[in-house]
Amino acid sequence: MLQYLAKRFGRSIISLFIIISVVFILLRQMPIEGYFPNYEKMTDLQIQNGLEALGLNDPIPVQLGRFWVDLLHGDLGESITYRQKVPVTEIIAEKIPYSVKLGSMAIVVSLLAGIPMGAMMARYKGKWFDKFGTLFIVFIQAVPAAVYYLFIQLYGTIILDIPLMFDPSNPKSWILPVISMSLGNIAYYGMWLRRYMVDETNKDYVKLATAKGLSGNKVFFKHVFRNAFVPLIQYLPTSFLNTVIGSIYIESLYSVPGMGGLLVQVIKKSDNTMVQGIVLLYATVGVIGLLLGDILMTVIDPRISLSKKEEGR
Amino acid sequence: MEQNVILSVKNLHLEFNLRGRKLHALRGIDLDVHEGEAIAIVGESGSGKSVFTKCFMGLTDNNGTITQGSIMYNGLDLAKLKGEKDWLSIRGGEIAMIMQDPMTSLNPLKTIGAQIAEAVALHQGLKGAALKEKALQYIKDVGIADPARRYNQYPHEFSGGMRQRVVIAIALACNPKILICDEPTTALDVTIQAQILQLIKDMKAKYNLTTIFITHDLGVVANIADRVAVMYAGDIIEIGTAEDIFYDARHPYTWALLSSLPQIGVKGEDLYTIQGTAPNLFQEVHGDAFAPRNPHALKMDFVKRPPYFEVSPSHKAKTWLLDPRAPKVEPPAVLEKIRSGGLIHGNK
Repeated sequence: MLQYLAKRFGRSIISLFIIISVVFILLRQMPIEGYFPNYEKMTDLQIQNGLEALGLNDPIPVQLGRFWVDLLHGDLGESITYRQKVPVTEIIAEKIPYSVKLGSMAIVVSLLAGIPMGAMMARYKGKWFDKFGTLFIVFIQAVPAAVYYLFIQLYGTIILDIPLMFDPSNPKSWILPVISMSLGNIAYYGMWLRRYMVDETNKDYVKLATAKGLSGNKVFFKHVFRNAFVPLIQYLPTSFLNTVIGSIYIESLYSVPGMGGLLVQVIKKSDNTMVQGIVLLYATVGVIGLLLGDILMTVIDPRISLSKKEEGR
Repeated sequence: MEQNVILSVKNLHLEFNLRGRKLHALRGIDLDVHEGEAIAIVGESGSGKSVFTKCFMGLTDNNGTITQGSIMYNGLDLAKLKGEKDWLSIRGGEIAMIMQDPMTSLNPLKTIGAQIAEAVALHQGLKGAALKEKALQYIKDVGIADPARRYNQYPHEFSGGMRQRVVIAIALACNPKILICDEPTTALDVTIQAQILQLIKDMKAKYNLTTIFITHDLGVVANIADRVAVMYAGDIIEIGTAEDIFYDARHPYTWALLSSLPQIGVKGEDLYTIQGTAPNLFQEVHGDAFAPRNPHALKMDFVKRPPYFEVSPSHKAKTWLLDPRAPKVEPPAVLEKIRSGGLIHGNK
């Protein structure tokens, strides 16, 4: 197990290395205007000096090497245009609490609503609750998120009697972004849990459990539920990340001073150091999410042995 | 043997509703199961043998309804039970079942100890150390070595034969009076089959069980059954002791089944096959359901469904051939080989 973990961890690092390097190299292909806030007014000499000062005239492998060395010292460089001369890490540290808080709350809400919804739908398959749930899922999946996000913002703020924009000090203003972020995940969890549970219900071991004399509810929760949860658990850590990324739109919509809006802004301003810093963060969370998902899976499902083949039957 | 009837089925009809069409799966079955016996129900696929026994446990699919008849068990008519609550008092504790495929009938995420203990807790009300003790006892009973270690293992760590032993342990842990074995050896290889059959026999003796075997393997039947019921198209067309059926069969379908046994074929000759296909149970069957495939069919067979004719007190068959007015038809000569070949062995 430990050996496997070390191997998996090593591979994750390699994946990250490749992702970041590719992003770094791609960003170096961007027009140089982005490095200077007042590019139009600068002379050629000023531009050359500026590029020299930023180290951008060096060959790309040298730049990449320097970037990695800095990164290992915890230095992501300084913002160029977004907030001049301010370290990227400092900007991210200011913003990240909002995204993490919103994302975590959204995940908790999605789990609390989506899991029972999927379970109930499977339990009462074909009854009104199932039909109602299916309607909800189809709606969320089929309608572009932007449409109902806007509706929630417009009517939610009226109902709750709060301003359109996010205000961290007002607890009420957290509600709408969290609900908006949760809806997609609620539908996702509900849909897949229902489907996996229905699959499990038709398996032979469920028939045996019933023949044993277990009541329908016991069979459902002691046997079916847990087994159906296995394929979902792998997705959980990644879905946390998706919620943070998915919040790009919602954070922009409510002007939340979080990470999501930030990426959009720095891309618009061609602030390369900022972009690569944020992408590094997202990539790291994504890779870790997958790794955690696999580990969770082995914990809950004894059939999956990650280390070398154990002695046979 | 003492003829104490433990389960009595009378004129049982079961219909499945399949997208508005009615499939008449069981067509008026009568059967008395005697306490302590091993009875085998044989028949080809689709003859209704599995569905028949599922009626005893309320495990038929939702679209199946018992339209007529009764299943009397302990003064209770199982055909009338509706709610899950009523069935819970029967399932496991009174009648338990062993399923066909041991590879899929255990929960892959629970240790086999937990799965056996679950049944013990449910039906014997034990807790804690006593519960584990008892569960370990069952693991040992079914011949699994090193119970303490095996208790904490998962189904995927067991072979097919071992898993079937676990399934049997679960059934025993329910402490039932009747054990239904639905093709318990079909999914196992031949060497394991014999072991599992022997195990069921041993457990039957140890726990005073009445066993109902469902199988299409006449070799299994010869090995384990006191009595044999032959099913065709949703009805039992011949029933008798194993000797009655193997040595003195009267129904042409039973003859055909026995003639198809590889053991009695002549080397180098094609195996006997029954021509035609089983009747479509979506349509009403007139006369003897086997008549269209029966080379010995009388005109009467196509017109009127034959009643049971008694051959001996233990042996009866539904065929007009047994009517005193019917012409004499000799069973196929090849069946003589069963008697000389001593197919029935190991029978107690």
